[in-house]
Amino acid sequence: MQKKWILVGIAFFLISSLGLVPLAQGVDFSGETIKWIIPFGVGGGSDVWARLYAPFFQKYLPGKPTVAVQNMPGGGSITGGNYFHTRVKADGLTAFGSSGSTSFPYLLGASQVKYDFAKYHIVFASPTGGVAYIKPEFGVKSAKDLKGFKEKLAYASQGATSLDIIPLLSFEMLGLDVKAVFGYKGRGPGRVAFEQGETNIDYQTTTAFTKNVRPLIDQGLAVPLMTWGILDDKGNVVRDPVEPEFPCFPEAYEMVYGKKPSGSAWKAWKAFFVAGFGVQKAMWLPEKTSPEIVEAYRTAAAKIVADPEFQKMVKKSLGGYPQLVGQEARQAFNEVLSVPPESKQWVLKWLKERFDVTVK
Amino acid sequence: MDAALKSLSVMLDPSHFLMLILGVLVGLSIGILPGLGGIVGMSILLPIIYGMDPHAAFALLIGMVAVIPTSDTFPSVMMGIPGSSASQATIMDGYPLAKKGEAARALGAAFTCSLIGGLFGAAVLSVIIPIARPIVLAFGSPELFMLALLGLSMVGVLSGKRPIKGVLAAGIGLMIGALGDAPAVPEYRYTFGIDYLMDGIPLVIVGLGLFAFPEIVDLLIKGKAISEVATLGKGWLDGVKDALRHKLIILRCSIIGVIVGFLPGLGGSVVDWIAYGHVIQTTRDRENFGKGDIRGVIAPESANNAKEGGGLIPTLLFGIPGSGSMAVFLGGLLILGIQPGPAMVTENVDLLYTAIWSLALANVFGAGLCIFLSKPIARLTVIPFTYLAPFMILIITLASYQASRGWGDLIALLVMGILGWVMKQYGWPRPAALIGYVLSDNIETYLFISVQRYGLAWIARRGVIILALIIIASLAMGVFWQRKKAPRLGGDHAK
Repeated sequence: MQKKWILVGIAFFLISSLGLVPLAQGVDFSGETIKWIIPFGVGGGSDVWARLYAPFFQKYLPGKPTVAVQNMPGGGSITGGNYFHTRVKADGLTAFGSSGSTSFPYLLGASQVKYDFAKYHIVFASPTGGVAYIKPEFGVKSAKDLKGFKEKLAYASQGATSLDIIPLLSFEMLGLDVKAVFGYKGRGPGRVAFEQGETNIDYQTTTAFTKNVRPLIDQGLAVPLMTWGILDDKGNVVRDPVEPEFPCFPEAYEMVYGKKPSGSAWKAWKAFFVAGFGVQKAMWLPEKTSPEIVEAYRTAAAKIVADPEFQKMVKKSLGGYPQLVGQEARQAFNEVLSVPPESKQWVLKWLKERFDVTVK
Repeated sequence: MDAALKSLSVMLDPSHFLMLILGVLVGLSIGILPGLGGIVGMSILLPIIYGMDPHAAFALLIGMVAVIPTSDTFPSVMMGIPGSSASQATIMDGYPLAKKGEAARALGAAFTCSLIGGLFGAAVLSVIIPIARPIVLAFGSPELFMLALLGLSMVGVLSGKRPIKGVLAAGIGLMIGALGDAPAVPEYRYTFGIDYLMDGIPLVIVGLGLFAFPEIVDLLIKGKAISEVATLGKGWLDGVKDALRHKLIILRCSIIGVIVGFLPGLGGSVVDWIAYGHVIQTTRDRENFGKGDIRGVIAPESANNAKEGGGLIPTLLFGIPGSGSMAVFLGGLLILGIQPGPAMVTENVDLLYTAIWSLALANVFGAGLCIFLSKPIARLTVIPFTYLAPFMILIITLASYQASRGWGDLIALLVMGILGWVMKQYGWPRPAALIGYVLSDNIETYLFISVQRYGLAWIARRGVIILALIIIASLAMGVFWQRKKAPRLGGDHAK
C-alpha cells in the first residue's frame, strides 16, 4: 500500500514539475554554448565583426553562455545561409550573421538561395560607409566638377553582382564613363590597382579610407569625391557622420543635375544601398524562435551597445557608426525586404545590358 | 635602431616571451600534422587575441606562422606526406633520403636551412620596409600574370625526361583548379549542381590526395617500414654540415622565398617548387635529384621559411595578404584595432619591429626544438608500416575534413587520391599537376584583368617583356643542361 502512495507521489511531483517548465518565463542559457554561424572564412570582415561582438553577448545574455563563432564559408555565403535556413533548430542556441554579400543574391533572386530574411528575427544590424575618390590628373577637385565630365575611367571590381553594384550604379547615374575591370579579389587589391594607375577611380570603406587613402590625398595622389551616405531614422540617405566633409551620393547627384535623384534607377540604388551598406551586417534567429528568446537577444544587444567598453571598440574597429538594435534594425531591414519587384527587375536588366551578366 | 632595441626589450619581457613560445609550440604542432597549415593555426589563435596587448598578440601569431614551415618537414621527409603546402617539394628528395635510412641527415639539413632562411626573411623585412612600397606598386596585373607563368615554366624542369607528360599533367592541374566559381565573372564551372564544387577543390585535399594517399597505398602493398635499411645511417650533424656546404643555394633560395612571399597574389604554395626547380636548373650534376639529393631538401626549406618575412610586407603595408595565413592574420590585426597601411611605418614602428623580432626569435627556437627532436622522431621510419598506416589514414582524413567540414571533403580526397595513385603508377609527374592547380586561379585572373584593362597593349609593358625574357632564359637553361648531361632524372620520386 505504501509503495503505491510513493508512486502516486512521484507521479504527482513529475507532472507538477513538467507543468512548471512553460511557466518559467525567464530565458536562461547557463552552461550552454551558443553557435553563431558566419558564412565566411576566418579573418574576413564578417568574421572580425562577429568575434568583436561575441564576448559581449557572452557577458549580457542571461546565464552567461559561451558564444562561439562558427565559420561556414562557401558559395559566397550562400552555403552558410542555406544551412541556417534548413538545418538550424529554433532553440536560441544557434544564430546567423549575414552580410551584404548574403543579401544581394537574395535580392537578385539567385536560384541557389534557399534562405528568406522575411521569416527570421533580426537581433541587431551594423551599417558601414564608403568613400569614392579619383586620380588628380583629371583636374577634378570635388564632386561639383563631375558635371559634364567625359573622360574614360576604369574601376577595379570584384564582380558585377557583388557590393560593387553601388559604386558602379553611382558612377553611371552621375553620367561618368567608367569601365569596370572585373576579377580583383577585394577592396584592398582594388586600392593597390588605383595606386599603380591600373585604375583611376575607386572606393574604400570609411575605415580603410581613413588609414590608407588619407595619406594619398595628403600627397596629392588622390582626390576625394563623395561618400555613399548613411540611412537616417526616417529612411533618408544623409551625410556620413564619419566623413562629414564630403557630400553623400544624393548631394553629389544634385550638384551634377541640379535636382534630387528620383525614378527607377534611384529606387534601385537605394534598395541595394540599404542592403549593402545601411544594414550591411546583421544577426538573425530562426523563424520559430520563441518571442522570449528573441527578446533576450535584443535586450542583450541593447546592453552591449550601451557598454562604454564596446563603444570604444566600435570606434576603433567598426568604423564608429551607430549600431541598430531590435526594432530599429527591423525597420531598417524592412527597406531591403520591401524592395519593389520593378526595382529588382530594373537592376537585373541593367546588369544584363551593361555588363552582360545574368543572375542564375 | 633605437626603436629596434626598444622592441627587443619589450619582446624579452617575460609575458611577451611566453606568448612567443606558446605561438612557436602551436606552430610546430600544426606543422607536424599533415595538411594543417597557417590558416588553421591562425583560426585557432584568433579567438584568444581578443583584448590582448598588440605586442603580445604579434609575438603569438607571428611566432606561430614562422615555424610552420620548419616542423612541416617531418611528415614530408619521414612519410612522403606534405606537412603543409609549403613543404611539398621537400618530399621529392627528403623522402628518398628517409628510405635510404638517412632521415636524420635530411632533417638536420632541413632545419638548418629553415633557420637561416627564416632569419634572412626577418633581416630583409627590417631593411626593405622603407623602400617596399614602390617595388610592390611596380607589379601590376600583367606582371603578376607573367610571374605566374614563370612559376608554371618550372614544370618542364620538374618533369625530367618526360616533358610531354609534364605539360599534360600541368594541364590536368589547371583544369582541377578551374572547377567551381570563376574568378572574374559570376559563374560556376563544372559543378553539376553539387554545392560542394561551388568553391572548387581545396588545396589541402589536392596536396594530400596527390602525394599522401598514393604513398600510403604503396607502402601498405609492400608491407615494410618506410626506411629500406634497418638502421638509421648518418645523423643530423651530417645534415647540418651538408647545409653549410651549400651556403650559396641557401642564399639564392632564401632570396627566391622572400620575393615570392613579398609579391602579393603569387601565393606561398608555389615557393617550394620554384626554389626546387631553380636548384635543378642551375645544377650540372642532376642525376640524383628525385632519388635523395640533399640539395633537393636544402632549396625548398630555405625558401619556405624566408617567405614569411616577405609575406608580412604587403600584409602590413597595403593590407593585402600574400597568402591564406596572412589573410587570417589581417583579420587578427583588425580585431586588435590596427588598420594596416602605409601609416604602419610612421605610427606603429614599434609593432613592425616586434614583428621582425618575433619572426627571428621564433625561427631560432623552432629550428632548435626540431633539431633536438629529429633523432627520436627519425626512428619512426624503421617501424613496420602496417602499424603506422591506420594512424596516417586517420590524420589525412581529419586534415581533409578541416577544409570545409563536409562529406564532400572526404569524397574529394578519395577521388584525388585515386588520381594521384594512377599518376604515380604510370609515371606522370604529380608535382606538375599540383603546380598547375595552384597557379590556375592566378593565371586566369591576371590574364583576364590585363586583357580587360589594356587590350593587347599589356604585352608591350616593360615589366612583361623583362619577365618574358627571364622565362625564355629559364626554359632554355633547362633544355641546355638536359642535352649536355642527358640525365636520367625521374620527375617522380617513386619510379
